[in-house]
Amino acid sequence: MIKLTIDGIKISVAEGTTVHTAAKQLGVEIPTMCYLEGAGFHNHPACMVCLVKDKSSGKLLPSCALPAVNNMNITTRDEEVMNARKEALELLMSDHVGDCDAPCRLGCPAYMNIPLMNRLIAKGNFQKAISIVKEEIALPHILGYICPAPCEKVCRRNEIDYSVQICQLKKFVAATDLQNNRIYFPKKDPASAKKVAVIGSGPAGLASAFYLLRDGHSCTIYDKNEMAGGSLRYQQMDKPLPPEVLDAEIEYLKSYGVDFKLNSYINQNVVNAFRKNGFDAIILATGANTVSNLLIDALDLSENGMNVNPDTFETSVVGVFACGSAVRTLKMAVRSVAQGKAAAHSVTTFLNGNTPEKGKRIFNSKFGKLAEEEFDEYLKEAPNRRNLTEKYTGLKSYTIENAKAEADQCMHCDCRKMNNCLLRIHSDTYQIDRRNFLLGKRNNVSKFFKQDMIVYEPEKCIKCSLCVEISARKKEEIGFTHIGRGFDVKIKAPFGKSIDEALTSTAIECANACPTGAISLIE
Amino acid sequence: MNKEIINIVDQIILKHGKTVNQVIPILQAIQNEFNFLPEEALEYVCKNTKISAARIYGVSTFYSQFRHKPVGKHIIKICVGTACHVKGAMQVYNAYLRELNIVDENENTDPNGLFTVEKVACLGCCTIAPVVQIDNITYGHLTTDNVSDTLIDFQSAKNNPKQTYDGIGTETENLQGEIRLGLGSCCVASGSSLVKDELEGIIANSKINVNVKQVGCVGICNQVPMLEIHKPGKSPIFYTKIKAEEVSGVIRKHFKPVNLLNRLKSDFFNYFEGIVFNEIPKSTSRYESDRRDTPVSEFLNAQINIATEYRGAIKPTDLEEYKDLGGFSAFKKCVTQLSPKEIIATIKSSGLKGRGGAGFLTGLKWELVEKEISDKKYVICNGDEGDPGAFMDRMLLESYPFRVIEGMLIAAYSVGASEGLFYIRAEYPLAVRRINEALLLCKAEGLIGERIFNSDFSFNLEMFEGAGAFVCGEETALIASVEGNRGMPKVRPPFPAHQGLWRKPTLVNNTETYSLISWIVRNGADAFSNIGSENSKGTKVFALAGKINRGGLIEVPMGISVKTIVEEIGGGIPNGKKFKAVQIGGPSGGCIPASLANISIDFESLNEAGAMMGSGGLIVLDEDDCMVDIAKYFISFTQNQSCGKCTFCRIGTTRMLDILTKISSGNGKLADLDLLERLAKSTKKGSLCGLGRTAPNPVLSSLTHFREEYEAHIDGKCPTGKCTEMITYTITNDCNGCTKCAQKCPSDAIETRPYYLHEIDTEKCIKCDICKQVCPIDAVITI
Repeated sequence: MIKLTIDGIKISVAEGTTVHTAAKQLGVEIPTMCYLEGAGFHNHPACMVCLVKDKSSGKLLPSCALPAVNNMNITTRDEEVMNARKEALELLMSDHVGDCDAPCRLGCPAYMNIPLMNRLIAKGNFQKAISIVKEEIALPHILGYICPAPCEKVCRRNEIDYSVQICQLKKFVAATDLQNNRIYFPKKDPASAKKVAVIGSGPAGLASAFYLLRDGHSCTIYDKNEMAGGSLRYQQMDKPLPPEVLDAEIEYLKSYGVDFKLNSYINQNVVNAFRKNGFDAIILATGANTVSNLLIDALDLSENGMNVNPDTFETSVVGVFACGSAVRTLKMAVRSVAQGKAAAHSVTTFLNGNTPEKGKRIFNSKFGKLAEEEFDEYLKEAPNRRNLTEKYTGLKSYTIENAKAEADQCMHCDCRKMNNCLLRIHSDTYQIDRRNFLLGKRNNVSKFFKQDMIVYEPEKCIKCSLCVEISARKKEEIGFTHIGRGFDVKIKAPFGKSIDEALTSTAIECANACPTGAISLIE
Repeated sequence: MNKEIINIVDQIILKHGKTVNQVIPILQAIQNEFNFLPEEALEYVCKNTKISAARIYGVSTFYSQFRHKPVGKHIIKICVGTACHVKGAMQVYNAYLRELNIVDENENTDPNGLFTVEKVACLGCCTIAPVVQIDNITYGHLTTDNVSDTLIDFQSAKNNPKQTYDGIGTETENLQGEIRLGLGSCCVASGSSLVKDELEGIIANSKINVNVKQVGCVGICNQVPMLEIHKPGKSPIFYTKIKAEEVSGVIRKHFKPVNLLNRLKSDFFNYFEGIVFNEIPKSTSRYESDRRDTPVSEFLNAQINIATEYRGAIKPTDLEEYKDLGGFSAFKKCVTQLSPKEIIATIKSSGLKGRGGAGFLTGLKWELVEKEISDKKYVICNGDEGDPGAFMDRMLLESYPFRVIEGMLIAAYSVGASEGLFYIRAEYPLAVRRINEALLLCKAEGLIGERIFNSDFSFNLEMFEGAGAFVCGEETALIASVEGNRGMPKVRPPFPAHQGLWRKPTLVNNTETYSLISWIVRNGADAFSNIGSENSKGTKVFALAGKINRGGLIEVPMGISVKTIVEEIGGGIPNGKKFKAVQIGGPSGGCIPASLANISIDFESLNEAGAMMGSGGLIVLDEDDCMVDIAKYFISFTQNQSCGKCTFCRIGTTRMLDILTKISSGNGKLADLDLLERLAKSTKKGSLCGLGRTAPNPVLSSLTHFREEYEAHIDGKCPTGKCTEMITYTITNDCNGCTKCAQKCPSDAIETRPYYLHEIDTEKCIKCDICKQVCPIDAVITI
């Protein structure tokens, strides 16, 4: 047995154990990307994200390849080690040309998973598509009419021909769902026995009510008007919103369980009054220019609206939240819808007895505009270039076939490994600044396909060599290999062979082992 | 498939075998045949050996020796080593591209398919920089102006091939004296083979009985070809930079046909000895120099010859002579009288530290291998000297092959190894040839083989030619290379002493380390440890080059000061320029500024100053050298040589280069200096092997000693005018209208106006520097 010390704790491990494994036995997780547990690959540290410090020499060494030796004294997390790992990740990121989330999703104020919706539509799976939409957007049918669609402005297809008609597709999915015999209602969390009052039935209020219900609370919306809808009904919109569309989605919310109390004026004792009535939290979604009417006790107000914590929508009074134009006038309804959702999540956190925190957005890698020579690479994921005259005008609704064809134009800009990419996960954990070493010209992206099985995107590769090792060990006739050396090294098939010939029996294993989205499974 | 290719490849496979570790020798053999690696040849190898497609492709694209595209009939290798760099190698490179109408640098063959232009890391001829090799002819002291001359000269030399030298038979009786001629790479590059041919002819046609001896590197590499006249009872006379047509005059002065009266001979000789340095007509050989009056003695006196014992006096591959001078006596003593432990104790107490750079105690390393219990152990000589600006190993291997072999034999006996390898880089063909010759002689003599000296000790020693990867100087990468892999280093531990070649205990020492061993055994540990400084014992061989009057290979005691080397041995800086710094240790080392010139050269002091012994390149820089440019030069070297395995080295060096490029092009910001320093420090800490861990040294040391020069670049000025993107060429009012610049300008940026002040059109100017070089009155300046 080998005796060593890790983070001040003594441990005995079998001979041949790496420091990485020894640390794991102590419950100390050291991040790594190029190390494949149990594969038995010998000593090929590459990513250097698993660095630890050997205290006796002061050297930083890769723990995944470092055999534990008697009397070793290892530190796994002092400042120097953490900084070195962070810098390794920043360097890797500076040479990682790829998007985690697609630009459209990042451009959507409600962060809707647009590419996934598109793919589900293209496959004709509308039921699943609406569930994806409703994850982030409570009022898709309404927004389908009035949203200015910032997502479409950043759609990569704009550079090639024109944007995928995301907003129309969303509208179509929502409309189809509402016409369905079995309308989609998200499964609610177990009942929390908490009551929340939402004041105002505009886009922010309606959205918050939807997510409060989904989180297991009961929810009552109060509105001064005789009909629900707030600004959606009583204010002039840039684009026309047919009243029946509004009514339909309000009906939907009623069916889901929202209790509407209309013609309800609230007074300055609102907080106490609601508390007396057993409400555990209040969301003020009273819209623009409502401050003067709302002389609520002890509420911190400013000239434009209510003062809230911009991350959590908490007001100065405990248990009272505010969102939408009541805080600051919002031009886009989709922003109000997004805030209503965020405020609802804060309320849930608060009702669970925790302190609301800023809704965390996981780390995102981005690479900006497509270069012209990259168009064809991206078009490998979509049927073809379109004739500009075919552009859909948006006035009439799609047929199912139209919708599928339109959704099929989506080029899959999002990464297939966005949820399990180790580079993303560690970059998030170490809070890296991806711009730190963004020097020099980026490489052009490319995509190579093995039909219906895997896709290889070399510019996402971090040169961990796992695929090279796997294909060599499993005796692939061609396999993957390193081509060139140094910064220019590429992982490719020898003799200019295609990925189809190179990876046969090991294709799926390589995709699963790949720590980033460089090799991924085609879903 | 092409039948001819199949036949050739079949024979190659037959010779080298089908095992995986033969991949590099097989690739080398294929390239020797076709000048590149035809794809079908490689595929054929995969089909008919155990070498996989992934391996053959991975390996062949890793090493820079291998080419995947057909090349021109002749290959022009332009050395971009440090010494060449500071003397304008890049301008020379660009001039070749222009001269050969090569527009796209990646398409490096001229339209006629005659010449292919390649950059090479270092040809090891630093003293005659900048250097260019066209096939096997080397040209030194290149300028943008004489690029076309080399092409013309090459074509004519090609039409008049010379025989290789194979010695002159001489009567041993009545010898009138001996003429020694150096035939190291620098000497040959400077025309010594022409001198030798001439010498042979003259002696054969006269009745002079004189021994002509081909010796190894004489050390004074920028004064070669050097002819030494040795006569019984007389001090030797040196003729430096001698030309073939001058030879007969020299011979006639010193030697009379034996049958003539030689009444006046001694007077004659005395007369010539006094004036010899001034008497030879000004040399007009392939490079120009006005320095023929070098006091050779000054160059040699401050040196101590241990690794270079009998320098310039012994013939490299003459085993008998080596033995007569005590060669292999140390080995014999070891095998017949000493136990391995006793030898190791001697090496330990001598204080010898490894000369490869890191300075690990040699005796301790031997002890670690000796202690290992294993059925097989290996010793390896690391001759993969890839540092630009270093040529110590080349010269030791070329000139003293037996000494290196003897060191290895002693090491092998001491650690209990039964097999050994020379790992020599392919860019050193002469070293490879000499070692191979020497190995054959030693095997014939029974010095290598079974039961050596009738003892139980048996040992075999073979050659492995490197394929062009600086990182293979790192011992774990070297071992990976021998095993038929890409030269990717591994984490240590396990150290090679424990698990090395084929996972057996392996001793890897540098060439110079081995060449010191026999001396230590013969003279004792104390004799060695009496030389040098407190913690660094013995001598160190340096390759002295750059802006120095007398460059060459020097062996000096540890602890000598930079100042002594530069001023006394090197004779100071040429052209009255100011001494600025020495770059020591190449891409792993750093700069010692003139203000620290009293620093003692030993492992510890250099580390403290942020430099490193490295393997011993010593490049002298003068006031015209830009430190940002030097830092950028080294980082671009290591960036290019990184194996690409670990993040810090692969991307860290690239980003450092990006930042330096930004600074040297005038786009830097002050914050870039902090980012650069931070990245340099983390790359130093976080890289996997010695290459990455030392690569930031040139940056860090120049930031320490010359930060103000970086700041000047950020303010928009390169103080020395080296960073071409920050300067413009202009002609002063001193111009006398000679039109030379206009005639030479390759981009028509200067209009020819005889007797009028000339002007440079900065729009057209490509900053090739030729106008500045040809202006006879220095009226072209950069601002």
